[in-house]
Amino acid sequence: MTTTDDRPTMIEFKDVHKYYGDYHALRGINGTIKAGEFFSLLGPSGCGKTTLLRTIAGFEDISSGVIMIDGKDMASVAANTRPTNMVFQSYAIFPHMSVEENVGFGLRKDPRSKDEKAAAVAEALGMVGLKGFGKRAAHALSGGQRQRVALARALILKPKVLLLDEPLSALDKKMREHMQVELIKLQRQVGITFILVTHDQEEALVMSDRIAVMFDGEIAQLADPETLYRRPATKKVADFIGTMNFIPATILSEAGDKVEIEAKGLGRVALDIAQAPTPAGEDPVVGLRPETLTLLYDDQKAPERETEGVIDEVIYFGDMTYYDVYLGGTDVEVRLSMRNVPGRPVLDVGTKVRVAWSPSALVLFR
Amino acid sequence: MKKAPILKGYTLFYLLFLYGPILLLPIFAFNDSKVVAFPLKGLTLNWFAEMAADQNLRTAAKNSLIIAFSVSSISTILGIFAARASVRYNFPGKAPIMGMIMLPLVLPEMIVAMALLVVLLSLGIQLSLFTVIVGQVLICTPFAVAILTSAFQSLDRSLEEASLDLGETAVSTFRLIVLPLVMPGIMASFLICFTISFDEFIIANFLGSGKPILSVYIFGQFRFPAKVPSMLALGTVLVLFSIILLGFAEYMRRRGIAKAGGKDSGGLL
Ligand SMILES: Nc1ncnc2c1ncn2[C@@H]1O[C@H](COP(=O)(O)OP(=O)(O)O)[C@@H](O)[C@H]1O
Ligand SMILES: [Mg+2]
Repeated sequence: MTTTDDRPTMIEFKDVHKYYGDYHALRGINGTIKAGEFFSLLGPSGCGKTTLLRTIAGFEDISSGVIMIDGKDMASVAANTRPTNMVFQSYAIFPHMSVEENVGFGLRKDPRSKDEKAAAVAEALGMVGLKGFGKRAAHALSGGQRQRVALARALILKPKVLLLDEPLSALDKKMREHMQVELIKLQRQVGITFILVTHDQEEALVMSDRIAVMFDGEIAQLADPETLYRRPATKKVADFIGTMNFIPATILSEAGDKVEIEAKGLGRVALDIAQAPTPAGEDPVVGLRPETLTLLYDDQKAPERETEGVIDEVIYFGDMTYYDVYLGGTDVEVRLSMRNVPGRPVLDVGTKVRVAWSPSALVLFR
Repeated sequence: MKKAPILKGYTLFYLLFLYGPILLLPIFAFNDSKVVAFPLKGLTLNWFAEMAADQNLRTAAKNSLIIAFSVSSISTILGIFAARASVRYNFPGKAPIMGMIMLPLVLPEMIVAMALLVVLLSLGIQLSLFTVIVGQVLICTPFAVAILTSAFQSLDRSLEEASLDLGETAVSTFRLIVLPLVMPGIMASFLICFTISFDEFIIANFLGSGKPILSVYIFGQFRFPAKVPSMLALGTVLVLFSIILLGFAEYMRRRGIAKAGGKDSGGLL
């Protein structure tokens, strides 16, 4: 993870609202995207990711607020003169043109000579691994190839910002994982700010320097992947990213930078205030990731805390086993994951177990 | 499907009913007799020669071609604007406006022709080829709009946005992306309007004020039995002309689809 804080700001949103008729699609977007950053907009379908991306590109007018790109207010700048280029979800490859005509399309008004343009097209094709494909008809390409053409076509103009709307969602799993790595490499190579829209939290975690998690037209949290995963700001974010166990809790006391709680099945725990994000006025629960819980074998001792439990379900994954465990004689069930290393048998349903956990891994939502 | 002799018979009868009379055209056009009846007499090209020599017929054919070309061009251009507007933009009163554009499709042509005649006369406008063109444009435009709407609808909007995104203006995007991709639809619209106009009779008769126009002329000639064989020769030429036109349209359509990489989903042929 690179630190991006010292980089200059590329895009700034100031209280951006967007209405489609009566429908409030963007509800006060604030935040900044740094130059050279790989930034993701992550959220469930319909939360407004594409809308936000399209307001950056200039395809949608905003109802109020300000979008600045590289220090300039974009209010009166039309889509075709913005320093952004887009890779569309459908790729939008021009079907009546060859690969090289597609890639060179943006150079039509470029004053360079024909040969120089051809060289630029060849270079762009080489960059996305399509050397020698220039003469192909656009419709004779596979999904992965179309996507590369779309990338080359957008990158050839050397935009300040490259916008990508779910570029990998149409690819199969193998190809998708391959392209994730390719995209990261490409972004490092060209150094352009990438803004990626995705509903796949894993994809966002793998690829991004920072992620904005969106729900219902609002940014719920904007942070780097590790912070998002370890310290989600709301229960909804925690639920959306990875797997999170939620355990009912009561708050016993709050003093200084400590919060003391009683969590069902876990007992009394003292938390640092950093583990308790801004209150949302909900019933208190603590969240625990499956990998922060460990089964104790034989006479192993827990480094910090431990709790008794009974295995309710065993899900075997080959390299991992997931266990659903009832905690300490309660009806609270948590999921935990264990790596299947040699000498560690897979346990049966009904086995009484001891579960080790660490107070610092807890997050309190209230 | 073995047990359907009735259906088979019905289909055969239907096809015979449809194409039998048309097949008789060339047969009698080459028959060496003034009487259109069996048995055939002998082979001749006289009727074609007579047809070619008919000065009035040549004028009528020329007028018809002028009308058909003008009507199909104007209707298709109007159709492009209307279809584009209806597919891409929302504006107040869109539904009723589009409905009214399409209405002549179901309105009895007779009524349109009469109404236009009354208006034109009361405005003191001389009836001419131009008034025929105006009337036929009214009839043909709905067909153009229907064909072109489906062409514009199948155009992915993000293609246009991609072009804008790559620095083109709305106008150059229309020229570089939209027009080439709807070209098969434009060709289809042009050809359909051309055929509709070419054999249109009611408006040509009402608003043509006796000007020689092919459909009206043929109808007039049928009153003279001696003229019938040469009219059949003309019919033969027209059938051939239609087949060539249709073949060309289909060729263009398939080429358009192949270029766009789409799947062939039916067509005229
Ligand atoms: N052109 C539009 N007109 C009306 N509503 C729209 C339009 N585009 C998007 N919406 C609505 O705005 C919301 C957000 O859409 P979108 O940004 O596409 O979501 P996402 O990309 O996160 O799936 C959705 O509820 C969608 O129905
Ligand atoms: Mg979307």
